[in-house]
Amino acid sequence: MIGVISYLVFFATTASILAIAVLGLNLQWGNTGLFNGGVVAFFGAGAYATLILGGTAQAGHLGGYGIFYPLALLGGMVVAGLMAWIVGLLTLRLRHDYLAIATFGVAVAFENLMRNAEWLAGGAKGVRGFERPLRTALGDGFIYNLAFFAVVLLILILTYLFLQRIVVSPFGRLLRAIREDEEAAQSLGKNPARIRLIAFITGSVILGLAGGLYGTFYAFVSPQDVLPTLTFQIWAMLIVGGAGNNRGAIFGAFLIWGAWTASGWALSRFAPVEVQLYTGSVQFILIGSVIVGMLMWRPQGFLPEHLVVSHKGKTKRKQQGEY
Amino acid sequence: MSIIRVSRASIGLALGLSAMSGAAYAQDCTTKIGAVLPTSVDWGRPIAETAQFAVDQVNAAGGAAGCQIEMVLRDTQVDPKVGVDAAKALVDLEGVKVLLGAVSSGVSMPILTSVTVPSGVMQMSCCSSSTAFTGLSEEGKTNGLWYRTFATTGVQSAVGAKVAADKGYKSIAILYKNDDWGQDMARLIAADFAAVGVEVTASVAINDAQPNYRAEVTDALSGQPEALYLALYPAEGTAAVREWLSLGGTQNMILANSLKSDEFRDNVGLQYLGSALGTDTASPRSESADAFRAAYQDRFEAEPNGPGLANSYDAAMLALLAMEAAGKDASGADVAAAMSRVTDPAGTPVSADTAGFVAAKEVLAGGGTVMFQGATGDVRFDENGDVSAPAVIWSFSESGTEEIEYIPLSDVDAFIASLK
Repeated sequence: MIGVISYLVFFATTASILAIAVLGLNLQWGNTGLFNGGVVAFFGAGAYATLILGGTAQAGHLGGYGIFYPLALLGGMVVAGLMAWIVGLLTLRLRHDYLAIATFGVAVAFENLMRNAEWLAGGAKGVRGFERPLRTALGDGFIYNLAFFAVVLLILILTYLFLQRIVVSPFGRLLRAIREDEEAAQSLGKNPARIRLIAFITGSVILGLAGGLYGTFYAFVSPQDVLPTLTFQIWAMLIVGGAGNNRGAIFGAFLIWGAWTASGWALSRFAPVEVQLYTGSVQFILIGSVIVGMLMWRPQGFLPEHLVVSHKGKTKRKQQGEY
Repeated sequence: MSIIRVSRASIGLALGLSAMSGAAYAQDCTTKIGAVLPTSVDWGRPIAETAQFAVDQVNAAGGAAGCQIEMVLRDTQVDPKVGVDAAKALVDLEGVKVLLGAVSSGVSMPILTSVTVPSGVMQMSCCSSSTAFTGLSEEGKTNGLWYRTFATTGVQSAVGAKVAADKGYKSIAILYKNDDWGQDMARLIAADFAAVGVEVTASVAINDAQPNYRAEVTDALSGQPEALYLALYPAEGTAAVREWLSLGGTQNMILANSLKSDEFRDNVGLQYLGSALGTDTASPRSESADAFRAAYQDRFEAEPNGPGLANSYDAAMLALLAMEAAGKDASGADVAAAMSRVTDPAGTPVSADTAGFVAAKEVLAGGGTVMFQGATGDVRFDENGDVSAPAVIWSFSESGTEEIEYIPLSDVDAFIASLK
């Protein structure tokens, strides 16, 4: 029984970290319409920077600053934000698929930089030697995982509340206005380029936060963690959950990650022996089918966006409550 | 790529053996061990098949630690998140004390740091080669729970340099797979070539799954080397070598053990591989030496050629021997500690097959120690869980590969020392 609880805590931690990342993407795509195809670069920047800033000294590459953990995590977010700022300045003039291709290129470049620049982050061997915070106090076992989960959950809730606040604020309306019709927004005296950049950076900082937590959880990050697969996984979570809806983003993360792991477990447990060796491939087919099916029959996702037309008084409050 | 081919005869044999063992050892319990391997990748599936093959042999010998063994296999998809989750599920939900895997160092490492070490489970990898594990162990962060049967890249690169020196090559170019293994290999072999006086004209990284490697190969050719060293896997190795030969590169090649594959030989063409010499860790020269090969051919109707197969077999076999030595209901740490009893150079030699496992059981039951003579040689772990092994130089032949020269462990160690 304790084994099941221990596993569920572990699962929920990973899912919550991914949910934070999906929330970051939702701000960019769901609310602002920025097609970020390089999710993994910002996620990875957060993970690498957190581990390099907070880790113990390693021969042959940058790191070992041993900074107080919350500051290291913050440092990861700052690095992700800085990267988003530079990438944003260069690419945000692009629209839709062009932006997607450009940011995808950034992510591939990031992975290759990490793989080859051994002086920076250990090359293909990755960054290790990170001491998980409070490990001496809490030990290594179930208690630690439970405490870590509580922290991740708290951060997820705070991120959610922050984004919900943005969505209902005038700034949130502005984001949607830019998403729907940039020229119309411009005609009202708004500066879409600046707003797009702010949304892009904010979303990327949240992605960096998720990456930092991910690196902390595993106490390790390598180029294998920043392959394009992760970008697709996070996108799949957002699409299935419901782009534009923060609750949908969280739900999608838990659902897809749950399906991903549960299908592997179920196949290893119940599939006949001859099929066992092919479970990996079968799993890809299953997950692919779910996403295709979703796009065909419910493209708006499980929890679609509620578009709120500004009303006065009672109606508005009621609609916000439903959000 | 590979299809499980189980002949009727071998099914019959397996049934016969299990019926025999059923009579000899009345067992109604099952112990689970976990395996997290990249079964969705073409070269990962045979590795998993070979691990299961070892488990089947042990079950035919009556199981380990008094119970039949069930290997619960999970796919890593070469994705660290997926691998870590699968490992955690195996440890928490299936209650395994021994975990085989993973293949990629980038997956094995987070499993080690976030699952097996915190849970006190022994982890045994067939194929993770990163030097980062040695570092982690030296820092005392593996709690002695980590082992791997992939001989350190040091042996491989030293023997590669020996081949170049013996052949009298003056200059050489290196093509290496751009991952942790390849980067380690390229660095080590460049130093070893320098130590034996062979000039390295270029060292070029090869990324996976590129449509062609013309730029990289041109780069390697530009120094007009006398020979080419390849630390690549079969798929991109084939593509790079075809490109190399079509651009007029030399057929003097030295190959790492990852290219010891029929796929590579067939796709490049044997006629171009006449001057290609490979290096590998080797089986010991004893009567039981061919046990693994023979049994493998019986089961799969093919030679055990392909990256990691022998390593995977030894990883599974050693884990199960250590379980047997540790006894029933042992913890992961107990099993890990018992490893020294089954890899004791002074112990009774046991062969790598069902009969060997039966023999080992008797010796261990009497309180003795055994020396497992595995598919990769007399496996001997150092305090960091790293393994050293004798080496062999091989070349491709009509039927697969044939041995050119055998280098015993003592000579390997002496040669490595001479390079320093």
